[in-house]
Amino acid sequence: MAVSSHELIAGFADPVQASQQVFRAALKVMSEPGTLVEIDYAETAPKGLDLSTWQLALSLLDPNTRVWLSPTLAANDAVISNLRFHCQCPLVDNPFDADFVIAWHSELPLLAELNWGTAEYPDRSTTLIVQVPALSDEPDWTLSGPGIEHTRSLYVAGLSEPFRSDLTRSRQRFPLGIDTFWCCDNRMAALPRTTQIEPFKKAEEAC
Amino acid sequence: MSTATGYNFAYLDEQSKRMIRRAILKGVAIPGYQVPFGGREMPLPHGWGTGGMQVTASVIGEADKLKVIDQGADDTTNAVSIRRFFAHTAGVETTEQTAEATLIQTRHRIPERPLQADQILIYQVPIPEPLRFIEPRESETRKMHALSEYGAMQVKLYEDVARFGHIATSYDYPVMVNNRYMMDPSPIPKFDNPKMSMMPALQLFGAGFEKRIYAVPPFTQVESLDFDDHPFEVQSWDEACAICGSDHSFLDEVITDDNGSKMFVCSDTDYCRERVDQGFVGTAADLSTSEQETEQ
Amino acid sequence: MYVAVKGGEKAIDNAHALMRTQRRGDSAIAELSVDQIRQQLPLAVDRVMNEGSVYDPELAALALKQASGDAVEAIFLLRAYRTTLPRFGYSEPLDTEQMQIERRISGTFKDLPGGQILGSTYDYTHRLLDFSLLAAGEAEMAPEEANALSEALAAGNSCPRVLELLNKEGLIEQSRESGLDDQVPRDLTREPVNYPAERAVRLQNLIRGDEGFLLSLSYASMRGYGDSHPFSGEMRTGRVSVELVPEELGFPIEVGEVLLTESEMVNQFHGSKDLPPQFTRGYGIAFGRAERKAMSVALVERALRAEELGEEVLYPTQDQEFVLSHTDCVSANGFVSHLKLPHYVDFQSELEMIRRLRNEQSQATQSKTTNEEADA
Repeated sequence: MAVSSHELIAGFADPVQASQQVFRAALKVMSEPGTLVEIDYAETAPKGLDLSTWQLALSLLDPNTRVWLSPTLAANDAVISNLRFHCQCPLVDNPFDADFVIAWHSELPLLAELNWGTAEYPDRSTTLIVQVPALSDEPDWTLSGPGIEHTRSLYVAGLSEPFRSDLTRSRQRFPLGIDTFWCCDNRMAALPRTTQIEPFKKAEEAC
Repeated sequence: MSTATGYNFAYLDEQSKRMIRRAILKGVAIPGYQVPFGGREMPLPHGWGTGGMQVTASVIGEADKLKVIDQGADDTTNAVSIRRFFAHTAGVETTEQTAEATLIQTRHRIPERPLQADQILIYQVPIPEPLRFIEPRESETRKMHALSEYGAMQVKLYEDVARFGHIATSYDYPVMVNNRYMMDPSPIPKFDNPKMSMMPALQLFGAGFEKRIYAVPPFTQVESLDFDDHPFEVQSWDEACAICGSDHSFLDEVITDDNGSKMFVCSDTDYCRERVDQGFVGTAADLSTSEQETEQ
Repeated sequence: MYVAVKGGEKAIDNAHALMRTQRRGDSAIAELSVDQIRQQLPLAVDRVMNEGSVYDPELAALALKQASGDAVEAIFLLRAYRTTLPRFGYSEPLDTEQMQIERRISGTFKDLPGGQILGSTYDYTHRLLDFSLLAAGEAEMAPEEANALSEALAAGNSCPRVLELLNKEGLIEQSRESGLDDQVPRDLTREPVNYPAERAVRLQNLIRGDEGFLLSLSYASMRGYGDSHPFSGEMRTGRVSVELVPEELGFPIEVGEVLLTESEMVNQFHGSKDLPPQFTRGYGIAFGRAERKAMSVALVERALRAEELGEEVLYPTQDQEFVLSHTDCVSANGFVSHLKLPHYVDFQSELEMIRRLRNEQSQATQSKTTNEEADA
């Protein structure tokens, strides 16, 4: 699919500073898993992408990152044209070959289909960017691990039960694994592969 | 555009920064694991902080306040040189005060004042591989990390115990991060090792020539290697800082005359200043830190 | 009274001012121009271009001037400049068979198509100081005929490479297996090296490597610390055109030409279980007139193929990690010179440790002596 110029929108107004600010937000959420941030360095996103997804893309993607898009996004002219034009990232057909996967929560590939890295190079793994319908700190998951002093709670809406349990179980394969950004409108959170996920226990249940 | 015309903000081009930023994110996701990255040449020599500088250049923004220390001091020549580099190429504000810095680039020390959430400590690392002096080959050490096969290091440390009665490594003392990866903390004194564990600030490490980046997220367990019968312990001094009287900071020994007379002063100059401001005094109360220009 | 040493900023400014004065030397002597360096010290310029990885004689000459003639410092200056340059594209592979040859030497055949061309060389000069140069006299210039001949040769037709003549008979390995496409080499200045490194990456590393280090390694490999008994199949110097295929055009256009020296070594190979006895190749190429560099690269390059050819790896020159990790003069110089930086803190840690160990030892000896006295 070629670039359709009528679909193109503007990128960052100040690309150097905005890329840096978005990266710092990404660094914060990745190093403090479950923390929610809002990023507002771009006014609009191509139709089909959340504002936070689009800003992450502008900040992190370039000709050296291979990207796989979930079917609805891959069929979206505005998404493709703007990624091609602003990021020049090559798009791949197989999620395993991607450095970054951008997916709707309802179109997620199986975790097993992604690249988890190798024992010697666990960093050569796919980073997953998921667009979800709601994202908050309501108690749903209880998170613990590096970056979290005690525990932190996170609610990611719209994930299927099998995906949730795959993600929870994937922690056993550390240092292999998938690092995930959750995006919803201008909000963003992340879960690196180190974060242990447990279903929230209500106080009375815990007793 | 930066104040130094002809170069991008903070020297590195945006594509290089993006590559380094992606490596940093992977480093944070796999604490203690050394992420290979396409290290760029910097206008300072390798071994003088080019790894730390590449990390700083990729992380820094206009709103940041940068502190640079070498041996704990803000005024050592290399710290001055690196601080100037960023003041010049990024036009950012710099500071000597640990408390108000958002980014601290360091060589060989962790500040005495506990670091806070949202501060980032960036270490300059010469040789990132803790196993390098046991096994010089990258292909081998990579396997050892993959398999968590760290027996060789335990043997090396135990040889010390057998020979000297205790572990004889005093700096660059290996640690285990989050119970999985053995990590080189850079050549900080082992005195600083305990500060790394459960630190509220993010710790990033950059090795320029070796082209490796690694990280310790906030609130992550970092344990210094030891043995049940020979627990890890840090250096201590009988003396206190001659300037501020501190009996709990890392002290530099200073030779004061031709007869080898000596005194001890805080290696962390900002911490020492802060204590003097608070009214603490050392044994040599008439001492001052006034300017003495070293011409060469 | 003790005064904490401060004033690092001032010291640095003064040190740099002193350096500039020292570089200029006696101001009664005319200042060197970059053009003079470029024209009259071209071999120094070539070295800086090679290890600096930039083909730009003017900038290399400038770097030499700025570095007071210190090659390693000049290389560093050029490298730090290179890093910030945007990449417009990658050239097509150079065709050195189409080189406009100014010098060509084969050690393996007395005569061959295209002939031996001695060109300009220091070889065969008697190394006697020429005091006429000291007296600011003009050196004797080449006679008209030699110039004319040299130009005619360069303009002449391309000539086949010597090793391809051996190839026709099947006596030398193919430079790539038939049916395989050209591989796009990875750019080692943009991606980290992973071991084992492929040949293209090894070659890039060697060509940027320190000339002295490579020369010594190749010397060692010929003296027995390696299994190198090579012949210089061919060494050629001349200009080659550089072509680029712009995306919007889709066909190659010439963007300039570079002066190159190429060396191809012929090594014996006794065969393995998969391969018959045949000659193998060692390859080196360098910017400018850099024969020592090109030949050293070719020798070390062949030694590093030991593993791939199933030879036993016994010596440092055959060891990828040893060689490739230590070729770079900018890195080596940085790391050695960083010892000049303060190490007070580490040294303090070691002082404390040594004092403690000595105390413990002397206490142990004392208590042993006391015990022995008590026993007596």
